[in-house]
Amino acid sequence: MEIGSIHSFLIHPGKNQEEPHDINGTAVAKNGRLFDMLKRVFDNAEEECQHDISFVPDTEAEQRNECRDSFLAYLKSCDLPTGRQVAKRLQAVTTNKSGLGLLFLMVGEHKGEMKIVVSRFPADSGILAEEKAKGLSVEFLERIFMKSATSYKAAVYSGRSHDNDFWKGKAVDKQINSAESYISNYWIRDFLRSDFLTPGEAGTRRFAVAVRDAMNQTSDSKVKEDIAALHHFVAGMPKKVVSAHDVLDQFHVAEETQNQIKERFHREALFEERFRFVPDEFLKHVAFKTVELDNGGLLTASTDRFDNVFKKDIVDQSHDIVKFSTQGKVVDQRFRKTKS
Amino acid sequence: MTTLAETYKEQRQQMLLPLAERLEAHLRSIFEGYARIDRISVRAKSIERFVAKAEKQVEGKLKYDDPLNQIQDQIGARIVTFYKSDVDLLAEEVKKYFRHIESRQIVPDSEREFGYEGRHFILFLPRDVFDERVREEESIPFFELQIKTLFQHAWSESEHDLGYKASAELASNQKRRLAFTAAQAWGADLIFDELYRQTTLAPQ
Repeated sequence: MEIGSIHSFLIHPGKNQEEPHDINGTAVAKNGRLFDMLKRVFDNAEEECQHDISFVPDTEAEQRNECRDSFLAYLKSCDLPTGRQVAKRLQAVTTNKSGLGLLFLMVGEHKGEMKIVVSRFPADSGILAEEKAKGLSVEFLERIFMKSATSYKAAVYSGRSHDNDFWKGKAVDKQINSAESYISNYWIRDFLRSDFLTPGEAGTRRFAVAVRDAMNQTSDSKVKEDIAALHHFVAGMPKKVVSAHDVLDQFHVAEETQNQIKERFHREALFEERFRFVPDEFLKHVAFKTVELDNGGLLTASTDRFDNVFKKDIVDQSHDIVKFSTQGKVVDQRFRKTKS
Repeated sequence: MTTLAETYKEQRQQMLLPLAERLEAHLRSIFEGYARIDRISVRAKSIERFVAKAEKQVEGKLKYDDPLNQIQDQIGARIVTFYKSDVDLLAEEVKKYFRHIESRQIVPDSEREFGYEGRHFILFLPRDVFDERVREEESIPFFELQIKTLFQHAWSESEHDLGYKASAELASNQKRRLAFTAAQAWGADLIFDELYRQTTLAPQ
């Protein structure tokens, strides 16, 4: 994979600042150790960037996105002025909390497609230790830029057509992977003006339908029991970025149940895809209805099948007396504490 | 040398037709249970209409220099519903389940005109419709979704059919008649929607 050009810009925080810092940039030589490291970032971008994202249009009626436009301009010219426009966008959303960063823009060609990789390394400090003839010298260094495991950010886009392509890409922001984190507003929403390619409702619905189908189609009572428990846990889950696999692991769902759910995804990539979980959407598709009678009887079934499972007859309308009947093979029975 | 029509024909057969079929099933499963949806249909653009669009000129130049990549309605979906209020409601639901790059209410250019109307989206094809045979990386990225009322649907179908079959451009008087039918469809939609809101949505 051939890299055509690399530019780098030092990004000071500039959000809400009246006089933001000047942006200094330079072309990076296509040789040496820095190039070797950046080439690895460029070549491995598709694997490193695990989140599928898409640009969000600036206005409803027009197929335009300011960030995408700045990338397309850079793709066409690959020079410092167009690269600086990208850098300005990043500076304008960079807060003091995000801190100083080094932006790299890399453009290349692969199998007839143009590819752009945008990455930001955070500034850090460190100590340089050098062994000399007469001993050891140590020196405190500021502005060390690391491909940090906790805050490295990148995005990659590729395509042929400037009209149709470069709308979707892949991104990584290590902060997203934190269990508490929702979505990184700074990198994905503010800078890239993007969102996850699969909307939260769509990803949640896909997962919920797989869970529901697994429950309806299995004859294994343990699987049914696991899913009923999952329903209970998921109802209280916050809106966070997860994959179906993440949710099942988080609630320690048994492997057999996980497999039965996974089989309902027609591609493994969808089972692993991350999206913003929407609990209400899940509960729309996986719900249990329970009816309690004044004689102590409790009837429970999934909401969408309840009326098929239990036949209801009116016995005495004036006194609200009803009779429920059902028929089937007992696959499980248990004792539970009564309500206190 | 392979012509554009031949290339599109192959793309249509190998990619667009299977995607259209799966997309229709996907849309039906999402909107199953929504009230007052008359129909959901998805089609792969016909070869004739694709070529005609690809050959379109603007100011003496071809509008598309790479039509296979630039024409975004190679797959077109339509949801037809009863009332205008339903169109707005469904448009919000579409935004929940699909990512769009364009969302427009298409209306005639001036208040003095009546003609084509509808809610149009350019949406990313959902990842659910791809498989090993039609891979996401090799597919077109978008499809067009239109949401229309029954009257908008009926008008646009007839207008499209007449325009497509006519051997010459319609005469002024014929265009005026078409605009008249569009005005009637617009009026019918307005009144049905008012009645629907008065009788169904208003508190008793």
